[in-house]
Amino acid sequence: MTVNTARHGLLWHLRIALLETRFQFLSSLRLPAFAVPTLLFPLFFYFFFAVLFQAGGPSLTGPTYMLATYGVFGVLAPSIFGFGVGLAQERDTGALLLKRTTPMPTAAYLFARVGTAAIFGAVVVLALFLLAGFAAGVELHRGQWFSLAGVVLAAALPFSAVGLAIGAWAKQQAAVAVVNLVFIAMSVLSGLWFPISMLPGFLQDFANVFPAYHLGQLALRTIDLDLGRPLWFHLALLAGQTAVCLAVAAAGFRRFSGR
Amino acid sequence: MTGMAGDERSPWRRDFWIAAVAVAVFAGVLMVLPVPEPADPPGGPLPETNFAVVDVTVFDGEEFRPHRDVRVEDGRIRAVGQRLRLPDDLPRVDGRGHTLLPGLIDAHTHTYGMVLNDSLRFGVTTVFDQFTQPSLAAMKRPARESLARTDEADLFSAGNLATAPGGHGTQFGVPVETLTGPGEAPAFVAARKEEGADWIKIVWEDGGTFGADIPTLDRETIAAVIEAAHAEGMLAVIHISTLEHGLAALEMGIDGLVHVWGDEVISEEDAARFAEAGVFVIPTLSVRVAAAGESMGPELLEATEPQHVSPMQRQTLTGTFPRPVGTSEAAVESVRRLHASGVRILAGTDAPNPGTGFGISMHGELRLLERAGLSPAEALAAATAHPPDAFGIEDRGRLARGRIADLLLVAGDLENDLSRSTAIAGVWKDGFPVEAAWVASYPKAPDLYLISDFTDGVEASFGLDWQETADSLRGGSSHATLSARDGALHVEGALVPGFVFLWAGAIWSPGEERLQPVDFTGRQVVRFRVRGDGGDYAVQLFGAAPQSTAPGSVPFTAPPEWTEVEIPLERFETANPGIIAGLSFVATGDPREFAFELDDVEIR
Repeated sequence: MTVNTARHGLLWHLRIALLETRFQFLSSLRLPAFAVPTLLFPLFFYFFFAVLFQAGGPSLTGPTYMLATYGVFGVLAPSIFGFGVGLAQERDTGALLLKRTTPMPTAAYLFARVGTAAIFGAVVVLALFLLAGFAAGVELHRGQWFSLAGVVLAAALPFSAVGLAIGAWAKQQAAVAVVNLVFIAMSVLSGLWFPISMLPGFLQDFANVFPAYHLGQLALRTIDLDLGRPLWFHLALLAGQTAVCLAVAAAGFRRFSGR
Repeated sequence: MTGMAGDERSPWRRDFWIAAVAVAVFAGVLMVLPVPEPADPPGGPLPETNFAVVDVTVFDGEEFRPHRDVRVEDGRIRAVGQRLRLPDDLPRVDGRGHTLLPGLIDAHTHTYGMVLNDSLRFGVTTVFDQFTQPSLAAMKRPARESLARTDEADLFSAGNLATAPGGHGTQFGVPVETLTGPGEAPAFVAARKEEGADWIKIVWEDGGTFGADIPTLDRETIAAVIEAAHAEGMLAVIHISTLEHGLAALEMGIDGLVHVWGDEVISEEDAARFAEAGVFVIPTLSVRVAAAGESMGPELLEATEPQHVSPMQRQTLTGTFPRPVGTSEAAVESVRRLHASGVRILAGTDAPNPGTGFGISMHGELRLLERAGLSPAEALAAATAHPPDAFGIEDRGRLARGRIADLLLVAGDLENDLSRSTAIAGVWKDGFPVEAAWVASYPKAPDLYLISDFTDGVEASFGLDWQETADSLRGGSSHATLSARDGALHVEGALVPGFVFLWAGAIWSPGEERLQPVDFTGRQVVRFRVRGDGGDYAVQLFGAAPQSTAPGSVPFTAPPEWTEVEIPLERFETANPGIIAGLSFVATGDPREFAFELDDVEIR
């Protein structure tokens, strides 16, 4: 079957992308080692710190603050693991090569990866929001619930770029370790586990290099709990970091193709 | 891949529906998540004791902080933060578009009558009084320790001031304990401490800047009082009128100035000396501009609902000084330089001097401080956090957890437009809302028409005894003596040049304090019998405004034969003819000796 992708319409592309997303999602779901920690890790953290520790406490903004940061954290895991580990795996086992022989456009593959991360992210967001609204006593204006969800889901895109960069270079076995290191370090140093203001000053400045920091601030911004930097500052740095990750990934793929 | 080609429609459709349902579920959950209880818009009745102001811009005493929730519980601030978790049944005020700040603190007033209510209605929840009757201060002080509902601002006061016999401060008819030399300083300060004075206020005023020559303390005595105050652990602040005196007081170790001078602009080097010494300055620009003939009164009355202004506030705000003193430019420029060099500036009005009003003038002082180069946040800090810091007073002036819930809610963004401070949307004292409109609350006069028939001496049927009054109270030289003989009051004396306008005679106060306003609503006339030397006299009626403003005056003559005189109350030009704080019968006009007899004085 020879297919000239350039001649197909938008609907065709969309259909393939959706199908690939479905398969990606299902295969991820069937991998408990991926699905369970990804879904449960942020929920467990939030339940522990925002519900149990805060119960009956003074009127703190903690549960509201943590809702934003653990939301971003919840999307970070599927994005970075899906791409970082999943991609390295598919490449080293030859699955990626197989896929490249099919008429499926590369864009559909990438769409499916990001889409899968977003779907996992959406499940985490829903569970987190229910926990926050009905167990932690968080109240937000309707528009804030929606905009927070929007920012958190959109985080799948830049995080996927980070994962893509790792997955394009790291070998299958190394990828798990590298992704874990980046995942944990970036979460803590970006203020996703506890407020960035609790870190020493030089680390607060250092946080600027992480996309997770800017996404955390953008999420906090929807509920007026950010540090007050201008919007363009975060967006510009985020765009730059994403571009760097994509360039690194592209270089990795060229190396892979040339092998 | 065959599934894709052979079964084109169904997986596509199925995926579409799965995606659509998933999105709908997602949105549906977001639609049922809890939202904050709707808050009451400001303007309705304000909640009390336990409530929250939500999503408001907070001025915390030093900085503006947007989108804060402030929770008040039992008269104190329980929490300030973003998106506080609040109980569902807690009353809320919608703070969007509003600024919430700590109750203002006027660091220079002179307390009198109902003024603590006048202050409070305009968001001034604490006043630092710089001279009043020690007995009044003692009566008002306990309220500041209480979180009970009140309609008055809290008072801190110097009480009696340190001045020379016949010096500035002695002209108001309030007995003042004076000093004549440095040796008396320790005993003077100890007596103030015993009276409960919160600090020591010193007067250094020779009248030079307004063309008078009045006795004042000498430098040795001032230095001794400062030293004695510090020995007792008290702050010493000083009234000065010239830069020279300000600099000299600085050398003597003064803690603060309660005025800025208006005679010249301070050099940057001298301003730096104030900063180095940590001396604070209460410029009282409100009274400085009023003295220069540029009162903020009309501007403030324009910005305020008429029913919020008491007759006394209106009367003092529209009052004027007899002649211009100094220039406001020198004062404003000096404040600019003091502030620029880091001197702590405190907002104070010197109400109730002519051209100022209790409470309301603090909003004018904010505008004047901005004119002197302070940012809105700095001007507001001068009116909130800085006065208690400077005077070592805790618990107020900041909007923070645990502080007293003295709050001012203003419609608008003060950070961008400080003049919005007069758009008051709410005032809370100790967590209780304060009624914005002025309500007359003077004691009612007893149901007696006859004030005195002088059969039992100089007593009256109520109020204080008849007393002498003369321009000597203001530094003039006229005098009068009173004696009750043959059932009449004999008033004799002389008008002697020495003051701008001359008067001498007899005065009566209907209240328990001198010139305390009393409600005579319903009475029509003042009636009395008089005989005398045929000269010109006047009946003077004091209204609700304090004694620094001129009373309403109606002339009469005293013929040799007993004559009955009846004057309708409405002929006296006071704000409200039914409110009477004092009644006097005085000789006025050109210098002369005089004598008259008075009998059967009635207000009916």
